[in-house]
Amino acid sequence: MLAVMKKELKSYFFSPIGYVVIGIFLLCFSVFFYLTVISYGSVDLSVLYYYTALYGLIIIVPILTMRTFAEERKTGTEQLLLTSPTGMFKVVLGKLLSALLVIIITLLISFMFFFIVMYFGTPNIVTTLVSMLGFVLISIAALSFGVFASSLTENQVIAGVITVAFLIISLFIPDISSKFSGFALMNYYSNFAQGVISIENIISLLLFSVVFISLTIIVMQRRKIVK
Amino acid sequence: MIEVKNVTKKYGKFVAIDNISFTINDGEIIGLLGPNGAGKSTTMNMLTGFIEQTSGEIIIDGYNTLKKPKKAKKEIGYMPEGVPLYTDLTVKEFITYMAELKKVDRKTRKEKVQKIIEQAGLKEVQGKLIKNLSRGYKQRVSMAGALVGEPKILILDEPTVGLDPKQITEIRNLIKELGKTHTVILSSHILSEVSQICNKVIIINKGKLVAIDTPENLENKVSNKNCIYVTVEDTENKMKNIKEKIQGINKIDLIKENEDGTKEYVIESKNDIDLRKILFTELAKENITIFEMKKADSTLEDAFMKIIEGGNK
Repeated sequence: MLAVMKKELKSYFFSPIGYVVIGIFLLCFSVFFYLTVISYGSVDLSVLYYYTALYGLIIIVPILTMRTFAEERKTGTEQLLLTSPTGMFKVVLGKLLSALLVIIITLLISFMFFFIVMYFGTPNIVTTLVSMLGFVLISIAALSFGVFASSLTENQVIAGVITVAFLIISLFIPDISSKFSGFALMNYYSNFAQGVISIENIISLLLFSVVFISLTIIVMQRRKIVK
Repeated sequence: MIEVKNVTKKYGKFVAIDNISFTINDGEIIGLLGPNGAGKSTTMNMLTGFIEQTSGEIIIDGYNTLKKPKKAKKEIGYMPEGVPLYTDLTVKEFITYMAELKKVDRKTRKEKVQKIIEQAGLKEVQGKLIKNLSRGYKQRVSMAGALVGEPKILILDEPTVGLDPKQITEIRNLIKELGKTHTVILSSHILSEVSQICNKVIIINKGKLVAIDTPENLENKVSNKNCIYVTVEDTENKMKNIKEKIQGINKIDLIKENEDGTKEYVIESKNDIDLRKILFTELAKENITIFEMKKADSTLEDAFMKIIEGGNK
């Protein structure tokens, strides 16, 4: 698992992808920092993380995940993975965690906003940290879906579009009917934004991730039979 | 040892591999032959566990590929068709990654990676990105990837395709060298290569196993032992009388008249007797000068064509 993770991180940072992602991400943070914290003159950073999670992930997650399996399938390197004694679970987890690490790196950099605000007042450290925890959890969930979408096709663009579509639908679906609110990922985030760690939300997000990680493994295993 | 028992692979209704069985012993170098689309790559992919057979069993060194896939996979080094590589890694990084995937022990990993780099002749390029390497080097990197983890069995899918003649010789020598310590299965379109390297040939046609034998035996099976080719200068045109002069000749046919006045004949004898000695003395008596005389021999190519055509009828 560490091997896959290391290799994936290398390809994120030896190519422009890693830097582009971090750049866009920080741009999102800055824009929302201006729109929320500065415009309202508030020192509440949780709003910043809420909006970045709401809109930023729609762009970031597909960029990070679209190539994970689609590229391997296209170039044939999946043969190297599937014929090695390393299990599929470790491969999927390695890829997921490396993408997550890119997000975590950005989150750590985003801590600078905390220090900026500290200059003007006393931001609530607990709410900020809980918001970050929620951010990480919701990222895992979204990345799991992205990796799953990537395992479905050898075309990176299609994988990316599926992921974007899913994230957008998940954003708007509660507006269509409140019956679907359970499908909206952000619903599981709102408690974190208030500085509340809800076990129920953690479990829901992790469960969502587990489902899509399992589906990815199933898809990759099934390739042995249909390919 | 590899045992393939009644293996069938179907894609929907299309039968790609139809009930094939064979055994490969340790230390053999096997050539897997067949026309395009015959099922060579499918067979190799099933041996490596990349795809699963619809029915039948594959046992690699005592491990069933479906029941104990991890242990079976550990015994195999695979070089896939078209050399897929992670092109944004350097050679050394790639080999190290393969070593990690194949669970080479952390303590000895570094030196083993170095050993493989040297064995595959990649020392000078180990720090280069794979995407900047030439085709020949990429092929070597892919083969080095297969060598990682000290597998007993090497499966090489068209290892020399797309290389220049010098590189082909180099890769061939490398395979021969590896054959001393590994069981090697390779597929190739170049039949002369297979008859040079391999000590056993498996021919697959339309998903069916049509022949499994040594290259020599296959060549002998199709060779026409009773034919002799002679090129003669026959100014008095006496060649047609030779048939009566020598006992045992079945037929003399003119194949070709050369520009320098010599003629090429094929002489077929009635049974397994070698006519060369008697031809030499008798033709001399008749004032026919022999420019060239050779017994018909056949190559693996002839054997292959005959077997495949036989199957297609």
